[in-house]
Parts: sequence; structure tokens; C-alpha cells
Amino acid sequence: MIIDHPLLGPRDAAEFVYKGDAALIDRPDWQAEDAADKFHEYMYLRDNVAGEMAELWYHEHGDRSWLVVTRNTLTHKITSVELARDVARRRGRGK
Amino acid sequence: MANLSPAPILGGYDKSLPDVRLIERSGLALVSLAIPLGGEAAATQAIRAAFGLDLPAPGMSAAGKAHRLIRTGPDQALLMFDNNTANAQPAVRAALNGACYTTMQTDAWVVLAVSGPGTRRALERICPLDLHDSAFAVDAAGRTVMEHMSALILREGDDSFLLLSASSSARSFLHAVETSITHTS
Amino acid sequence: MTRPNRLNPGLTDRARPLNFSFNGRNMMGYQGDTLASALLANGQRLIARSFKYHRPRGVFSAGSEEPNALVQLRRGAALEPNTRATVAELFDGLHATSQNHRGSLEFDIMAVNDLLAPFLSAGFYYKTFMWPKAFWEKLYEPVIRASAGLGRLSLQPDPDVYDHGYLHCDLLVIGAGPAGLSAALAAGRAKARVIVADEDFRPGGRLNSETYEVDAIPGHDWAARAWAELLAMDNVRCMTRTSVFGAFDHGIFGALERRTDHLANSGGKPRQVLWRIYSRRSVLCAGATERPIAFANNDRPGVMLAGAVRAYSNRFGVTPGQRVAVFTNNDDGRRTAADLSALGVAVTGIVDTRLDEFIVDTTGRKELKTVLTNAGRRIEADCLAVSGGWSPNVHLTCHQRGRPTWRDDIAAFVPGPDLPPGMAVAGAANGAMTLAAALAEGRAAANAAVRDLGFAPSRKPVPRAEDEAFDIKPFWHVKGHKRAWVDLQNDVTAKDIRQSHLEGFRAVEHLKRYTTLGMATDQGKTANVLGLALMAEASGKTIPETGTTIFRPPCTPVPIGAFAGRARGRDFRPVRRTPSHAWAQENGADFVETGIWLRAQWFRHPGEKGWRDSVDREVTQTRRSVGICDVTTLGKIDVQGRDAAEFLNKIYANAFAGLPVGKVRYGLMLREDGICHDDGTTARLGETHFVMTTTTANAATVFRNMEFARQCLWPDLDVHLISTTDAWAQFAVAGPNARALLAKVVDDLDLSNAAFPFMACAECTVCGGTPARLFRISFSGELAYEIAVPARYGDAMIRALMAAGKEFAVVPYGTEALGVMRIEKGHAAGNELNGQTTAAQLGLGRMVSKKKDGIGSTLSERPEMNRDDDLRLVGFQPVDPSDALNAGAHFIEINDETPDMHSDLGWMTSVAHSPELGHSIGLGFLKRGADRMGDILRAYDPVRGKDTRVRVVATHHIDPEGERQRG
Repeated sequence: MIIDHPLLGPRDAAEFVYKGDAALIDRPDWQAEDAADKFHEYMYLRDNVAGEMAELWYHEHGDRSWLVVTRNTLTHKITSVELARDVARRRGRGK
Repeated sequence: MANLSPAPILGGYDKSLPDVRLIERSGLALVSLAIPLGGEAAATQAIRAAFGLDLPAPGMSAAGKAHRLIRTGPDQALLMFDNNTANAQPAVRAALNGACYTTMQTDAWVVLAVSGPGTRRALERICPLDLHDSAFAVDAAGRTVMEHMSALILREGDDSFLLLSASSSARSFLHAVETSITHTS
Repeated sequence: MTRPNRLNPGLTDRARPLNFSFNGRNMMGYQGDTLASALLANGQRLIARSFKYHRPRGVFSAGSEEPNALVQLRRGAALEPNTRATVAELFDGLHATSQNHRGSLEFDIMAVNDLLAPFLSAGFYYKTFMWPKAFWEKLYEPVIRASAGLGRLSLQPDPDVYDHGYLHCDLLVIGAGPAGLSAALAAGRAKARVIVADEDFRPGGRLNSETYEVDAIPGHDWAARAWAELLAMDNVRCMTRTSVFGAFDHGIFGALERRTDHLANSGGKPRQVLWRIYSRRSVLCAGATERPIAFANNDRPGVMLAGAVRAYSNRFGVTPGQRVAVFTNNDDGRRTAADLSALGVAVTGIVDTRLDEFIVDTTGRKELKTVLTNAGRRIEADCLAVSGGWSPNVHLTCHQRGRPTWRDDIAAFVPGPDLPPGMAVAGAANGAMTLAAALAEGRAAANAAVRDLGFAPSRKPVPRAEDEAFDIKPFWHVKGHKRAWVDLQNDVTAKDIRQSHLEGFRAVEHLKRYTTLGMATDQGKTANVLGLALMAEASGKTIPETGTTIFRPPCTPVPIGAFAGRARGRDFRPVRRTPSHAWAQENGADFVETGIWLRAQWFRHPGEKGWRDSVDREVTQTRRSVGICDVTTLGKIDVQGRDAAEFLNKIYANAFAGLPVGKVRYGLMLREDGICHDDGTTARLGETHFVMTTTTANAATVFRNMEFARQCLWPDLDVHLISTTDAWAQFAVAGPNARALLAKVVDDLDLSNAAFPFMACAECTVCGGTPARLFRISFSGELAYEIAVPARYGDAMIRALMAAGKEFAVVPYGTEALGVMRIEKGHAAGNELNGQTTAAQLGLGRMVSKKKDGIGSTLSERPEMNRDDDLRLVGFQPVDPSDALNAGAHFIEINDETPDMHSDLGWMTSVAHSPELGHSIGLGFLKRGADRMGDILRAYDPVRGKDTRVRVVATHHIDPEGERQRG
């Protein structure tokens, strides 16, 4: 596979390490009332998508960027690649 | 105690084949610069003031009179210059005066210089990156993986490249590059 | 020697004769021959024995689809079995032998299998060798393996070298036949970056084997000129002897280039190169493969594909027979007769199914003698050219789940609508079975691709040629009772397919597995469509309704050696060396692989009988005076930024924000699920600057996880990470004299306990100015420091430390002594941090801060992970000090007679012989361990047949109060 890095252009997937569902960005609030349940869901409950899925890939043999790659798990077609940091900020993550 | 003397990782390797020359480039100082969050403008200005270089775009390097600056990440760059002392990083830190966080990286890398008309033909055997002029012009730089080793490749000239890889596996890396040259010579 | 089958030079070079041998017989061929063409020229028709029935077989095709003519090339360690003679390029001195027979090729005693054929039909393994069960392994399987099969391996290491490589292009043209050449010319002229690859050593495809004209010159001449034009373009890479074997995601193709297979001696260069080709677009011009018609005894040497007969006669100047008959259902067959007649070869008969005549049987045991037709004709023939039509080579179009579609007009599957992204298909591979159409399609496909990529297509017109007659009327097999072969290589007959249908194995994938149709090394290239047609006929369906099996890469055999590439022996993976490696080698170190690091395991002294002597000495002397160990392999991460302290607070389970500058703290890292991940120490060198250490094994994953936290979880923290593992050489200096030793090398730093206490750190210089970092940390439990210098000074540093330590009788110690001392001290390491253990189990439960958010802190509070009756890390000593403990032993109560899952109390994780205590000691996890101090248990180890009584003790086997390390 080839991942079109938003800063570096197309790179072989062999340069990357795969992590999984980009929902892992949405780490729950540890002080919430239901933090234990939320962390349980965060940690263990994932959708097994047959189709388009947002995934986390790490450019380990590259610029060490974490990327959010939207990929069709049936065809491997990649429709978007973004820096995970930008996605995280958009989803309200900060300090 | 007597002063400690530094040893080049590969003992100053230097080998010429008919159309490729491969040498260990020792005596280069490498200092990593990290750009503070929100401090991009100040960092860019300080780098320009200290070294006369603009921060290059990702995938590129910029060469000045004495320094080369390689963009290694969104908020990171690697400064390379001739300096065989152990005090290169403090000097850079002082020159940038807090505009960047600096880390000594000289010893983290082995630097091989490979040049000559057979260079790209040899690199085809280990380098997954496209080194064609249209994709990897002079001054282009990229990190990738060669023979399972992380590597940084930089194009110094038409037929000359620098290859950087981890110093601890320098011998394996040299072997990989040497093998590529002998397989294609 | 006369070679009556040699008609003319064809495209071989008469000026370059080549000597070779087959089964010990010396023969001669020419440069440009394949082994198959040279064997035919020398009248060698019997070349192999078939897989199952050991039937005599000859050359069947002239290309990579060959099912019959598998031979062994070369000898000794270089012996290469199962090579297709039809693609093996002849070279001077080639040594070839036949395979898969006992006795000689001519009198193979295993041919008795042919008489047993009634018992060896489809599924015979499953039915025949069922009973008695015990006979399978002892009798049936060895006999079957010995009798059925292919060539034999040399069983010696492969003497050749292989390589990998990476290529990039705008357009990959697969195949250099008429369509491929036309495509490559168009794209090359448009200045796109082109790779054109062909499996043959001579580009041109069928142009070399037919008598067509292109641009008013012979087709093969046109191909040579086109190739020369392509070679002259610096934007085109021309690759012959290169098989593109797989179409992978996003325009990546796998290709095998045979670099020295055609040379007697490789000169040490790689024999084959496995290329990964990155293409933006591709045009598949892989041509088509001819298929036979099934009829009784259609496997005799001399029965060949009609296109192959034309290839041998037109390209190689060799006639496969002196009296050639033709059996066809299409116009190609007729052209074979015309070509041969023009060359002066006797054509003894044409049997055309379109005229309702077909062949009902053949005679001739080791070579064809006659053929009989349903019209009662008996035709003398030593060669029969058979054509059942052509099947487009659609394989690469199907590697991403594409399915081919059926076209009635050419009676063949053509590429379906779901092509791999970026791929176009042109020429015969696309069902354009005639020359002018192929040339036009190649050009059009390339022009469309380059236009798409922003290049201006060349205006040069398509090469001129005529479309030959191409009429076909499907005809698959001649019905009859005798055996008619469908898959020659796996000996699958028409009857086997009928039987598969009768027994209910009707789906194509079942048909394939039950009969083994298409499962041989040729992957049924000449057989599959015929097999499908027979199944369709048996089940009353159409061929498209019957469907095809799934095509998977590689579509042509690729040697395992080529996949392995350089990754053999010591080159299997890189090796990392510590800065003191050379010094350690000089000083008798035995090295051990820890991951890919090589570390000194112990330093052997003269007179020491075994490793234990060395290790005991190293431990004893370190604890008595001082020892030095290279600990560079521990991961080191530079953490800088305004928010670095806050960031570490989130990374570690324990608090770090309050760590003062100049101090080191032990840190425990959890995974988000609350399980322990890693541990190490982190030093604060400045307000915004920390240096973290990780375990050797987890250095890369810890860094990755920290980058994840930095970029994805807390993107607005100002923190920056960079690995400095290789940048610093780091040595542990441990033992009562550590301070005195270091005082001799460290410049201007007060090392007194008051000025530089346990867990202090400082940046300093050593030996008169070399920058260094000093950490007062202890893994051994002794008064200990770690001193770090830039790695290029590492070799000088170890020598300086050893010199300075001479007056203290300093010893270097290796990983084994390091392990002994950490077990004596009760520190957890990899055996304990095994991905299943909690902080509570390690006795570190109180370290997990509940006052802050750290990775894993929430889930580590789950009740099940904090049960009082859970496992706890404790120490063990043998009740009888002469007993040696075993890691892996399980604990059970002393009075428990039945060790099982219910009586299991835990297990021993680490053991060592403690020189200080004079007996074996251990660490392990024990249920309610903290409450069981002093209890005696059984350490039960059925694997090693041991059962030892052990006493539960504290993890700190020595110096429980930590007085030494604080002293």
C-alpha cells in the first residue's frame, strides 16, 4: 500500500506502523463520573468496519508523524490522509 | 586523566569502485532543533540570524556556507556542519538563544557519502524512495527504511548522496550499501 | 552430429554455437535457443515423466505456461529442479537432466503407475489410503511421496545470491509483444517515465514466432527496432527476463528479473532480483496463452500447442517433427500448416473441428506415431499441433479480487470491469486477438494513461499491420472412454472432472482441490479453461455460470530465494553494537543477542571452567569492590519543552511534575488498559529538559506511544521527543569503590554523598573536558552510577574507566551478572514485565497516582486488577540450599498431591545463583504472596522433571534496607 503523506507525498506503507481505529484519539475524561465505563469502551469496544474507516498510522521510518488515514478496508482505497495532530485539535483535544 | 579521543564509527571508511565512491563522512556535527509550539516565527528568525538559512519545507534541506539544515519533521530539523568537537550542541544552543530546543545528535548517526555515476543504480537496491530528478532534486532529503534500518537520505548533488543511519548498526548499514554497490557494479 | 530438425537459424545466432548436455548426452545449440528448442533440434522428444502416472512427456509449449518439460539444471549445490525447459536460456556448458523417474528416463519403473490408473483417479488419496489409520504415516505417505512428485532439491545451501530493489515509473508496461511495444513507444515518446518488462530474453512476444509484418518489415525486425528506440530513451527502462508476477495495492507490482540465470557463471552477482515497482499507471499487455483440446492419449511426446510449433519453427528454426499434423478449432491451426509448408516441413493432415472431424486416439509410446480421426483417417505424424483457442492472460487483472468475464466470440475469459486501480489492458490480454488491433490498443491505452498524468501524447501514428483471420468455434474435448488429459502437469483427465461432478465437487474451487486441476507449478495455464468447460458441460451450465477460481499472486513461480533476497545467515537482520564492543571483544567477552543488540554476556578469564565461574566472579568482585557494565542499549529519549514535566506526568503512572532539576526518579509506565508496559528512570537536567531511559526491549514502542500521546492526545502541550539511544555511550559503575573510581575520571564535581546523593544527576565533563552526564542510580543495589559520554568517546571511556579502576581490581561485567544482581536486589525485569502483570502484582501498586491523569491509571483501578488474593511478586529460596531453582516452575501447596489448574498458586519468573548467599534464589508470582512470607511450597516443574521445596522470602534477597546504594 501507499500512503500519501500530507507533508511528504506518497510513501510505502512499510515505513509506517499501524495502530487502529482513529477513535483512539477520543480518550475519555478521567474525572468524569462514568470514567471507568468510558475508558472500558474506549479501550475495548471497536467497530469492525467493512468499508471506509479512519485509522491511525505512525510514520516510524519517516518524520514520526501520526496520521489519520481514511481507508476502505475492503478495497484498500485511501480517500484522505491528515496529520493526526490536526484531527485531534479539531476534535477538541488540547493540553 | 588523559583526554578522551573520539573514534569514527567505521574507522574512516573510504572505498572507490569504478563508478561509485563510498566514504564515511566523519567530523560532521549534527544537532537536532525542535521548534517550540507557537514559536515558529521566532525560531525561523533565529535560525536565519544564526546560520543564514531559511527553514526548509518538509522533505527538503537548505545549504548555506557552512551549515546544512534538514527538515526532519513538522516541528523538527537537523543542523549539520563541520565540527569534530563535543561542544557543537552547546554552541548551537547559545546561537539560537532559546528559540529552539537543541539535542546533540552527532553520535546518533553514521554518515556515508556515496557518489559517482553508478550511485542511483546501486541505491535502487535498498532505497524505496524515488530518487529521480523529478521526485528527489538536489537538496531533497527524506527519512525511510533500508534493509530494515531507519535511514535518512539527502541529495547533495547530481550523483552524490548522503546516507545517515543509526550509529549502533553502522556496520550493518555499511554492509547493506556496499552490497548494493558490488551487486550493481 | 546431424540435427535434422534444424531448419534454419531463425532468430538464433549460428555464429555462436553452444555445447550443453542432457542426461549425459552432449548436444549443441545456438545463442538464442532455449533448452527446449535445442533439445528438439537434437531430436530429444522424451524429456520428462508425468507427475502421477509417470507417462512419457515431451515439450508442450514454447513459454512460461509449460506443463511437461520440467528439468533439473546445473549440478551440485547449484542444482535447480523443476525448471521449464521452454524458458531456460541455453548457455555454453549447461548441464540438464530429467527428473521424476526411477531408473532411466526411457525405462522409468514407476511407469507401473500408469497401469494402476483406474485406482489413481481424482480423490484416490482420500479414498484409498484411509485404512488402517496407522499406515498413513509409516507406509502410504512415504511411498506416495517417493513416487509422485517433481525434482529433488540438492539439500545443500543455495550458492547463489539474490537481491531486492525498488523502481518507480509513471507507466508500467507489462509485456513487450506488439501491444506492449506499441504502448511503451507511445508513452516513451510522450516523455513519461516508463518501465517496460517482458519475461522473455527477446522482446517482441508473438512477433518473434509468427510471420507477420509491421510497418512493411518482418514483425521480429520491427520489434527489434522498437526495442532499440526504447533503449535509446533515457525516460524508459527496458527490462527483459523480467516476469511481473503480482499486482498489489496502489499501483505496486512485484517483478522477478533473472539477471544471471542465462550465464554459466554469475560472477558473484545476484542471480535474480525481486523488484517492487511503484507505478502511477499500468498497461497490461501480457498476451494470451493457447490451450489444447482434450482427446484420448493427447499427452504423448510430440503433441504440442500449435502456437508452440510455429514458435519453434519460425523463431528458433527448429521443427518439432518431420511429419506434422494439425488439430484445431480455429484459424490459427491452419496458419501452422501454412508456416510449416513454407519451411519445407511435411504437413501430413489437418483435422478441423469446424468441419466436424476430430481426433479419437493416438499411438506411439515414447513419441507420437499416428493419430486417428472420427472420419476414419489414420494420419502418420510425429508431431501434432493442437489449438483449442487462446486464453487472454488475465491473471494480474484479478489480483485485487477482479473477476474475468466471458466472451463468446473468442471463446475466452477477458478482463472484467474491476481492474486494479490505474491499470488498463491492451492487446491479446484484453481479447484483441489480432495484430493490428493489438498495436492500436497498446498505443491507445498508453496515450490515455499519459494524458491522464498530464503528458502530451505523441502524435506518431499506430504501426501499420493487418488483422489476421481469427475465427474460432468452441470445441473442448472429444468424448470417449480412454483417458484424455486436461491438466498435463498434475495428470488430471477429463474423466477425473466428470467424476468430481458425480461426487458432488461441482463448485470450481471444489473441483480444483478435489482433482488438483490447476494446482501444479504451471497453475493450470493451459488447463483451467478446458477444465471449466468440461465441468460446465457435465453440470449443464455455461462456462461463465461455472466461473473461475480466484487468481492470486504470484502468477508465475518465484523462487523462495528471491523472496528472501539478502536476508540469509548473518544478513537476516541488522546487528547493533555497543560503543565498548571492540574493547569487550579484546577482553574475552561472549556476546548474546538481546533483540538485535549484541551485548557482552560475561567476560571469560583463563582457567574458568564455565560461564558460571565468570559470572560468579563478576558479581562477587562488583559487590566487593567495583564493576563496570555497558548499559548503552537502554532506550534514551530526550524530552524537552515548556510542558515536558506535565507531559511526563501523563506518560508515567507515578508523578513527575515535581521532580527537581538535578534529580532522577524511577518511573512506571502503564498501558491504557492498566497493565504494566515499561519502567526506567528519568532525569531532570533543566526546567524544560528531561532524559528518559526505557528498557532495551521497549525503546521503540515507548517512543511511539509517547509520540501518540504528544500528537493525538495532548496536541497543545509544548513537548518534543528525540531518541538519543545511539548518541550516548553509557556505563554503569557499581560497587563500594564506584565513587572512588569515578572521582578519578570526573572533572570538578563533588561526588560526596551529601553533594551528589542517591538519585542525583548532573551534566559534567570527564577526563579533562569531554562532556558527560552522571546519574546516581543503581540496578545492582550497590553504590552505583551511570556515566554517559557522546558515543564516539565510548571506546576511550571504557578504557579510561578500566585504567582508573585498576587499583580497585575493577571488573567488567556482562548481562548475566547484571541479571544475577537485579534478582538478588529484587528488581523486576522482562520476565516479570511480561505484558500481563499489574502494578499491584509487582508490589508497585502504591506508585500509581490517583491524583492525576496518566496513561492507564483509570483502568488500572479495576477491582479485578486489585484483588487481595491476586498474585504478588515475592522471592524464593530453596529449603535445601543445594537445590537449584528453575524459572517456569509452578507453585503448589506442600501437601497438595495433585498439581493442576486448581492447585496452581503461581510461577517462578527468574532464578539465579547468588554468589553472595551461596545458593539459588528466585523471583516469582504467588497468590497472596505478601501474606505468605516464610511459608514452604513445592516448586513443581514437570517439564524438567523437578519438584523442589522452596521458602517464600522478600524480593530483596540482599540489603533489604538499601543501605549500600544510598551509602
